[in-house]
Amino acid sequence: MMRRILTATGAVAAVLALAACSGGGDAVDIDGSADATAAEGGGSDGGSGGSDDVLIAAIGGEPDQLDPHKSSAYFTFEVLENVYDTLVEPDDDLKMQPALAESWDLSEDQLTWTFHLRDGVTFQDGSPFTSADVVYSYNRIIDEDLSPAWRFSAVESVEAPDDDTVVITVSQPTPNLLSSLGSYKGLAIVKEDNVTSGDITTAPIGTGPFSLTEYVSGDHITLEANPDYWGGAPKIGGVRFTFISEPATALAALRSGEIDWTDTIPPQQVETLEGDADVTLGVGPSNDYWYLALNQHREPWNDVRVRQAVAYAIDRDSILQATSYGTAVANQLAIPETSGWFTAYDTYSYDPDKARELLAEAGVTSATIDMLATSDYPETSTASQIIAANLADVGITMNIRTPDFATWLDEQNTGNFDMLMMSWIGNLDPDDFYYSQHHSGGGSNAQGYSNPEVDALLDAGRTETDEAARKDIYAQAATKIADDASYIYLYNPAVIQAWSPDLVDYVARGDKAIRFRGVSFAQ
Amino acid sequence: MPAFLAHPVARFLARRVVYSAIVLLGVMVVTFSIVHLVPGDPVRIALGTRYTEEAYTALRAASGLDRPLPAQFVSYVGSALTGDLGVSFRTGQPVAVSLADRLPATASLAVVGLVIALVIALPLGIWAALHEGRVSDAVIRVGSQLGVSVPDFWLGILLITLFAATLGWLPSSGYTPFLEDPGGWLSHVLLPGLTVGLVAGAIMTRYIRAAVLEVVSMSYVRTARSKGLPPRIVTLRHILRNALVPVLTIAGIQLATILGGVIVVEVVFAWPGLGRLVYDAVAARDYPLIQGAVLLIAAMFLLVNLVVDVLYAAIDPRIRLS
Repeated sequence: MMRRILTATGAVAAVLALAACSGGGDAVDIDGSADATAAEGGGSDGGSGGSDDVLIAAIGGEPDQLDPHKSSAYFTFEVLENVYDTLVEPDDDLKMQPALAESWDLSEDQLTWTFHLRDGVTFQDGSPFTSADVVYSYNRIIDEDLSPAWRFSAVESVEAPDDDTVVITVSQPTPNLLSSLGSYKGLAIVKEDNVTSGDITTAPIGTGPFSLTEYVSGDHITLEANPDYWGGAPKIGGVRFTFISEPATALAALRSGEIDWTDTIPPQQVETLEGDADVTLGVGPSNDYWYLALNQHREPWNDVRVRQAVAYAIDRDSILQATSYGTAVANQLAIPETSGWFTAYDTYSYDPDKARELLAEAGVTSATIDMLATSDYPETSTASQIIAANLADVGITMNIRTPDFATWLDEQNTGNFDMLMMSWIGNLDPDDFYYSQHHSGGGSNAQGYSNPEVDALLDAGRTETDEAARKDIYAQAATKIADDASYIYLYNPAVIQAWSPDLVDYVARGDKAIRFRGVSFAQ
Repeated sequence: MPAFLAHPVARFLARRVVYSAIVLLGVMVVTFSIVHLVPGDPVRIALGTRYTEEAYTALRAASGLDRPLPAQFVSYVGSALTGDLGVSFRTGQPVAVSLADRLPATASLAVVGLVIALVIALPLGIWAALHEGRVSDAVIRVGSQLGVSVPDFWLGILLITLFAATLGWLPSSGYTPFLEDPGGWLSHVLLPGLTVGLVAGAIMTRYIRAAVLEVVSMSYVRTARSKGLPPRIVTLRHILRNALVPVLTIAGIQLATILGGVIVVEVVFAWPGLGRLVYDAVAARDYPLIQGAVLLIAAMFLLVNLVVDVLYAAIDPRIRLS
């Protein structure tokens, strides 16, 4: 009998040994330094101070890959924001400031942009940064049609007359070129041999404040401070990103000091956390927006009066309360009040009578609406419940579907929906989103909106170089879009992040870029 | 018949290998069909919300998705036979590497979970059966029913709240490889292991109790008792040994299930196991990674089953490997 039990124990031990043997092999240790493991728990005792402190940041999921030109996942850019640089970059007020380019000139005809690059910048492997890297990076995106390629639609050529100068020629005046080149790290300047070797997907090399030293699949990514960073060496020793998608776990880890920072915080937790002395909470307006879109390829939603009826029928405040617990800001246009592009607009109010009137005018007595929500964004199904009740009041019956996001994208793309709810994130220049969502030739105009007047305004906005005139154009376009209810804008959600009170000088930014280069630990 | 197949065990193993190969081929056909039937386009997910039509076409071609399905299937099977499971759409990494990266954490959790489950279930299940109808049996049965009913994410969060957030004894999440730091490995694996082990232990307690009860009612047990053998000998030699076969079955199933990934527990504890990898792969319609992971999970099931079958024969001489 005993022998049999020993055999069984032996089998278990063998599996254990297998686990142990392969245990060491899964770390991608780039520079061979063993410091990375010391990171654990390092930053939590902020009292120790000094530049050896490693900040531990829990983000909500794992990056798909670390090639900035190929990823479109927010998790990727939470990490890469700290590794890479762009020619220009938004400051805390989201205005474009010099980064790798120290200055730039624009030709008289507005068609030639000359960027003067910063001197003495090196990549994290020590090699010098030159104009050839910029030319390579941009041409890679353009020639290989990588995901940010749409931002270069007006660019004719990218050239390097000398090591410190980059000349970008555009086919028409492009006032938002700076925002296109700098609004996020998808436009990062990469290193050619890092790309050709294939290492960029797990071991990217940039010019940014931290270099990536270790990537353990599924567990963590370790960054080390770059002492040669052109903006000055970071005050902390490094950053270790862990991937915690469960809010309860992230909060427990933050409270117990295992992590120093997290954005895995659902809005319903904000009220509880506000009084918590162990946690510093950052809640601020973001540039993201949530909207409803009605499919104008289908009846009766092609009738502007019916769309307006829906806009009057829905109770925005209730939706906002239910999805964001009051942390979001209601907005009937895309752009939040904190942005320089803000336009005031409050045509719609919660008015079921007005909605019924409009429906009667359009000859619609009853209708059924196919609502496309998605299980990957729970706010869409929460909001759908309220919208269904609102619409029932005015005689519209709603059927809600909640497929996963992959299926949702298919349905949106094939136009198989009456109404959908979605958000867009990280919006800086109005051309970025108004054009693709509302121009009749826009790439994301799934609702099928077409208004020649709006098309003309959006075309003009692309090339208008006078800032005040340009702002006026977008105010007109946005107003028209909302009047036509091409989108029924709902609200701007809040940026919600929480960190240890020991962490100093961290700013929760409206564009949700996560920057750790200026932070330090309190002594 | 080749000489090495003369031995019955060798014949048994050879036959099982052939069966397993057929099963795995079937798994490949089924997963390939299913991933392509399910709606959702991996290219669209990879590109996000804003992209040009050219970018879509370029990535589709680069991923090989523009080729006819039969051609894609043939090259998938062809490469898989040479051990090449392809390259993940999502990460750009070879599928085999991605899977191998996650195996240590998954194996750690499975082994620790199973050990905890056995430590709980063996004594409790046997005790309950031998004391059928008594108070202790009722307590154990209610306890195991509770264990089966408790959602594992809730149990996990409860353990984190108690042991990590309140007492500060153990880390709330993450993983440390055994070879790097055995102490760190143990402290990280304990809470997720306990979550998996408590649930599996509750299930196994019920199975073990039932298995022992069945044997207790056998005539050879009555004979042994009437021979005047001491109860301890009867329990060890006659009851437990015969009850071990069903116990092995359920332990094997539990082990294989945990090895296949326990997504909810992995999410709660930010555990870098197979479950989360598969979950992310499905969400991104990462065909090569889904196919590779399902193949690996199927292979692990077959292997565990094979080991269990061999152990049957070792435990019970009435079971022959032929």
